[in-house]
Amino acid sequence: MGVHHMPKKLKVVGKDVPVLDAREKVTGALEYGVDYAVPKMVHGKILRSTIPHGRIKSIDSSKAEALPGVLGVVTHEDSPDLDWIGVWDNYRGKVLDGIARFVGDEVAAVAATTEKIAEQALALIEVEYEVLPAVLDVRKALLDDAPQVREEGNVRDEYRVVWGDGKTGEDESDHIVELEIQFKAQNYAGIGRNACICDWNGEKVTMWTSSQTPSELQSGIHQAFGIPMSSVRVVALPSGCSFGLWWSNNFMMLTAMLAKKIRKPVKIELTSQECMAAVKRRHIEITTGRMGVSNDGQITLADFSHLMDNGAYGFKTDVYFFCCDLWGGAKNGDYRVRGVSTNLVTSGCMRAVGDITMGLAVERLADMCAEKVNIDPVDFRMKNQIKSGQQLRMQEPRQHMKGTLTEYVDKLTDVQKEGWPEMFHLSSGSTHELLRQGAEKFRFKERWKGWGKPSSVNGSKHRGIGVGTGAHCCGVEFGGNTSSVVRVNHDGSVNVFSSCGRQGQGSETTLSQVAAEELGVSLDMVNIVTGDTDAMPWSSGSSASTTMFRTGWATRAAAKDAKKQILRIAAIEYFDSDDPETLDIQDGIIRSQNPEDNRNVSLEEMMNVLCSDSLAQTTVITGRPDEVMPPTIAFARQWAAQFTEVEVDVETGEIRILEFLAGQDSGTVVNPKVLKNQVIGGAICGAGFALYEGIEFDENDGRVLNDGLLDYKLLRTGDFPSDAEVFFVESPDPVGPFGARGAGESPAAAAAPAICQAVYNAIGVWVDVPMTPEAVIRALNER
Amino acid sequence: MYKLNVNGTSYEIDITASESLSDVLRDRLGLLGVKVSCGEGECGSCTVLVDGKPETSCLKLGRQAEGQEITTIEGMGTYDDLHPIQEAYIEEQGFQCGFCTPGFIMATKAFLDSNPNPTEEEASEAMSGNICRCGAHPYIVKSVLKAAEKIRG
Repeated sequence: MGVHHMPKKLKVVGKDVPVLDAREKVTGALEYGVDYAVPKMVHGKILRSTIPHGRIKSIDSSKAEALPGVLGVVTHEDSPDLDWIGVWDNYRGKVLDGIARFVGDEVAAVAATTEKIAEQALALIEVEYEVLPAVLDVRKALLDDAPQVREEGNVRDEYRVVWGDGKTGEDESDHIVELEIQFKAQNYAGIGRNACICDWNGEKVTMWTSSQTPSELQSGIHQAFGIPMSSVRVVALPSGCSFGLWWSNNFMMLTAMLAKKIRKPVKIELTSQECMAAVKRRHIEITTGRMGVSNDGQITLADFSHLMDNGAYGFKTDVYFFCCDLWGGAKNGDYRVRGVSTNLVTSGCMRAVGDITMGLAVERLADMCAEKVNIDPVDFRMKNQIKSGQQLRMQEPRQHMKGTLTEYVDKLTDVQKEGWPEMFHLSSGSTHELLRQGAEKFRFKERWKGWGKPSSVNGSKHRGIGVGTGAHCCGVEFGGNTSSVVRVNHDGSVNVFSSCGRQGQGSETTLSQVAAEELGVSLDMVNIVTGDTDAMPWSSGSSASTTMFRTGWATRAAAKDAKKQILRIAAIEYFDSDDPETLDIQDGIIRSQNPEDNRNVSLEEMMNVLCSDSLAQTTVITGRPDEVMPPTIAFARQWAAQFTEVEVDVETGEIRILEFLAGQDSGTVVNPKVLKNQVIGGAICGAGFALYEGIEFDENDGRVLNDGLLDYKLLRTGDFPSDAEVFFVESPDPVGPFGARGAGESPAAAAAPAICQAVYNAIGVWVDVPMTPEAVIRALNER
Repeated sequence: MYKLNVNGTSYEIDITASESLSDVLRDRLGLLGVKVSCGEGECGSCTVLVDGKPETSCLKLGRQAEGQEITTIEGMGTYDDLHPIQEAYIEEQGFQCGFCTPGFIMATKAFLDSNPNPTEEEASEAMSGNICRCGAHPYIVKSVLKAAEKIRG
């Protein structure tokens, strides 16, 4: 139960097929939220706070409402008195509650016949605030006398992962290194913006918007407005690059408020500035850490304290970090996280959340330890990073779940758990094979000159090599389960209904490959619905690298169930047998697995039996998972190891990435081209974090100062080597579909440590990220 | 009324003084392949060809395009008959989410018209006027080189 066997030869999985929407994308025909329109649609705009913290004393929208073309205004007075909770607590609260908590926070919204009139009307709304003191500093937000951003207080409960004993770790250490590091908030800076259309027609609410989490958005609307989920239909459209930005966002709820009030479909289209300054961002993180090592290179102590800010509406207690598993070979570990609220724009999960920040701090300290005992970074990682089969460190529960994970697992019956991998132990894969193969391909040992030593110097240009590793989860069940439905039609074609996002990660293609493989049909017979909640079963959406592992598992399980039903009927109707186990479907033909039995029937012919005098009770075959999926968090991780050479100009401080090799172990590769793109895309996201990216907040009111791409620099083609290479280690997972695991986030976590280490080796000094030319020169001067 | 030539067709449109070319193309002509993201000429998603040269249509006023030949992604290949550049982008998967792709393809067209046989470095530099946040950078450069190969025949 829960674990599927691996067929000998895969026909669709593992193939480099182009993504299913490739032609739409290259012809510009794919419609995103901003492109979508419905009949009778009008336009909305949002009034945003100009102060970081204040209670609305009065709000007068009469002048706005009198403007010709204005159809309605909503304020906190129209807001239901209900809290809604965004995915992973990235948002929590009422849609509007009469308090502004950051500059840019939503205060009111206007609907009008045109966007221009709506915008003019915003200027006519008069708001009087009672100004409240604001807290813009993460450390200050912890203090007892700090202004409180939320009713629940600023400080969330500490989340802790601990093993061994800290005192013992200290005693066993020959060296202890320490670090305090503050990471700036990275901006999603997605190309593509977003828009939301909502139609509140009678009791039925329909929303069209770009979202990675269609089902969770449906739940959010249900919570925010107190209406049954059956009355809410979300049609999630493809998004531009999202990285976690477009899940369920409060501007979508404001659109619904307007639609409800004026009873017309309303579209709110966000500007680029709103996307970059008023929706969500990565958290600011302050990490203090100590790491101990014995002279033989064994990490004896890993002791970290992470402080992360939630901004105004985030409510996270931990950042879902898996670096503690990656470095699980440490003998004693203690990782503590506290989330605090600030009067800054909401922070939430962004690609490789936790592992891009904490992971970098941990890798930095590990590198410092390795230098103390003079072991190269490849060997040091191989010695101290977790191996397949070993105990995981991150195993205890989140508050989303009833009881602890251990209690959940213990309550299941042996039948339900049959064939499961060992709980709380790593099922498959690790960084070891990646490091071994990567070091060989990169000729790491030949090129390694020692810690802080450049591989070459040419005038002011110093080159250095580096390696970094990253890990992340493969979906986590605490945010909700996943499911899929597979429908086989009369002609043998297949519809797959899987709730997930389409932000460029290719899930519509890879999930279709999984279904085609299991059902024994060609990919062109499969069509998938990923966005329409009226059609799909509820699923935790495309967050936390869930889709391939968990939704892929559910999709395969649903296909298996459909196949079982088909073969049961086929056995009786065509094979004079009551044993469907002897049959299989290959290339759309049902055959006996007995090579001496030549009888066969096409899937199409078999399905047509359902229309005639058949044994079936239905007209089509519908499959759904009928097994328990083992809790992913208790055994599955994804792995990345990346190698790079950089050149640092010690006169200008400029850093160039010259060479990049990315190794990825995500189990079986379902689509090599899709995965390569994910891996390099992740590396570039991490490289941006390492080199350029960071939000600048105004020190007086906390507004985002660099809220456009003119001032927020991203890597362009010339900034990353075009000959960057990717290699895969495919250690098959016992549970994931055909052995596949999650993929999108570990590559983002591995890049910054590799680049930072390479810079250190080039110039002999650690530079804090983002390693802008100014930061490099400052670090060199402080040396 | 202003006369615009878009993808080989002439239009007479009453363009307001403040209307950007991208708005005219999207809202008046329904050419939704013209993607607008940053709105300040930085990301290049809205790139169109104006008399064969790439321009960010979000920064250009619609009226300024009068009498010029405008080519958008819709003026390249069609779903059933792709342009070689579009084929190359599919083969090398020079995209992920696809939002920036029309802009990249138009920039590629202009670049290859002026440099039909580029080096990898030239292609990489030429594509730096556009931004892909998904990070398909190496595959975009490979797409450009493959497109050049296809066009050269």
